Amino acid sequence: MKIKNISILPGYNKKKEKESKKKIEILEGQKIGIVGHTGSGKSQLLYDIEKLAYGETKTKRKILINGEKPDKNLKTDPTIKIIGYLTQHMNFMTDTTVYDFLKIHIITRGKHNTKEETEKIIEKVITEANKITGEEIKKETNLLILSGGQSRALMIADLAYISESPIILIDEIENAGIKIKQALEILIKKGKIIFLVTHDPLLALDTDKRFIMKNGGISKVIHTSIREKGIANYLAWINEYMLDLREEIREGEKINELKLICTPTGAKE
Amino acid sequence: MKIVIFGGTPGSGKTSTIKFIIQELKDLKIHYVKFDVLNTDDDLLIKQKFGISTENKISGEACPDHYAALEIPKIIEEHKDKDLIIIETAGLCLRCSPYVNEGLAVNVLNILAGKPSGYGPLLTDADVIVVSKGDLISQAEREIFRSKILEVNKNALIIDGNGLTGEGAIDVAEKIKESKEVKGTLTLKNSMPTGICGYCYGNKILSSEETLKRYNQGKELKARIPNLNCGKCGFKSCNEFIRAVLDKKSEESKCPYIKNKN
Repeated sequence: MKIKNISILPGYNKKKEKESKKKIEILEGQKIGIVGHTGSGKSQLLYDIEKLAYGETKTKRKILINGEKPDKNLKTDPTIKIIGYLTQHMNFMTDTTVYDFLKIHIITRGKHNTKEETEKIIEKVITEANKITGEEIKKETNLLILSGGQSRALMIADLAYISESPIILIDEIENAGIKIKQALEILIKKGKIIFLVTHDPLLALDTDKRFIMKNGGISKVIHTSIREKGIANYLAWINEYMLDLREEIREGEKINELKLICTPTGAKE
Repeated sequence: MKIVIFGGTPGSGKTSTIKFIIQELKDLKIHYVKFDVLNTDDDLLIKQKFGISTENKISGEACPDHYAALEIPKIIEEHKDKDLIIIETAGLCLRCSPYVNEGLAVNVLNILAGKPSGYGPLLTDADVIVVSKGDLISQAEREIFRSKILEVNKNALIIDGNGLTGEGAIDVAEKIKESKEVKGTLTLKNSMPTGICGYCYGNKILSSEETLKRYNQGKELKARIPNLNCGKCGFKSCNEFIRAVLDKKSEESKCPYIKNKN
């Protein structure tokens, strides 16, 4: 299913006030940050989007897909489910290898056509996952012994290339152990819309707009400025620098120099 | 009147799911019954929170699902004025589950607790399956788990639930509203397993001779009492009474209906 835009028709906050005057529209390929204090309504907003709420949840929000009320099947049938979800507590629990796991998932998703195609998708998922984690994932590794960073990287690559859900919800994912900016780029490259609950300035400023949550409602929508995006790039550079240092320290190297000059991500030598 | 029966292993999140569902059904006159084996205060907590009528039924020595099957008709009789009866089973055995032919059968299934194919009628006879604790694992595994459920119960509506946030409660509540009123005499969806052996009559020794001996004693006694589960002997069920007599904790004469040995 092709998603061109999502609209959020405003609901009510905990004080029973209308949260916004007009509808909020999000376009294909956009990244939306959701920020606010604990209890401000961030998770409820994700829940409303995941449920494709239509006035039945406690906020009374309505979610439109391509300007229309979403079809009921979209909520229940997992093979056409349009929403992918990633939360901070997620772990793998299946006792099997990375390879077998991806294969079962491809079959479950109804994408197993030829043996070669399946092999190709598995290869792609592992390659992309390895681009976002510092520690290499091998296809014969058991899922249960993957580190937190490796697990998250694999889940993200799986979401991008197997689930292919056009809308992705991310609830406070930690960026320890993964290159989160690259990870989001992988998802965005597939034309996805991303909603990101975060307390992390790097992620919050690396968005197209951000919703400021208060009292259970969206109290403000801020469009990210060019200056803010620049700051996000700088923070991403620091994050990668940390990852590199981590790897060097693990390799037993001594760190003698502090790098101070930063180049934007992507242009790094 | 509608009836909904919740089954699920201990710790799967039945009670917390039910709390969120009751919240969604505030307009209905509800009676909530909690079956358990040893002890529970869920009924009091729910009464306190929602101000609805509640009760608990403790099965003690008897199998909680067999006990529930005996009690459900009485509960219905006593609460004819209610719109909805919610029954939460103790959820110990996967083989017995007192789902009935009318109303709605809901299984709360902990995604971390093993393969769907390992569950019996508890899962395969459910109309609605609420998959709980899914927020702890990857979406890919949730999808795989879902397809495994469909392999053993392709008719159920599968709902992602969360006992902490209340996710899924709206959908179950919707399904309850759509469910039909109870009309006829209720029967079990699935027959319960035969379970009468020496151990059922209270034998503790791990030996086939001992258990056969106990079985014969129990059978002999059982033939002389009318199996009314009337409670006049001070025990909840006749089986419990038989065990007590064989364990020398009670006497035959405590049963007002007992026939003498020939």
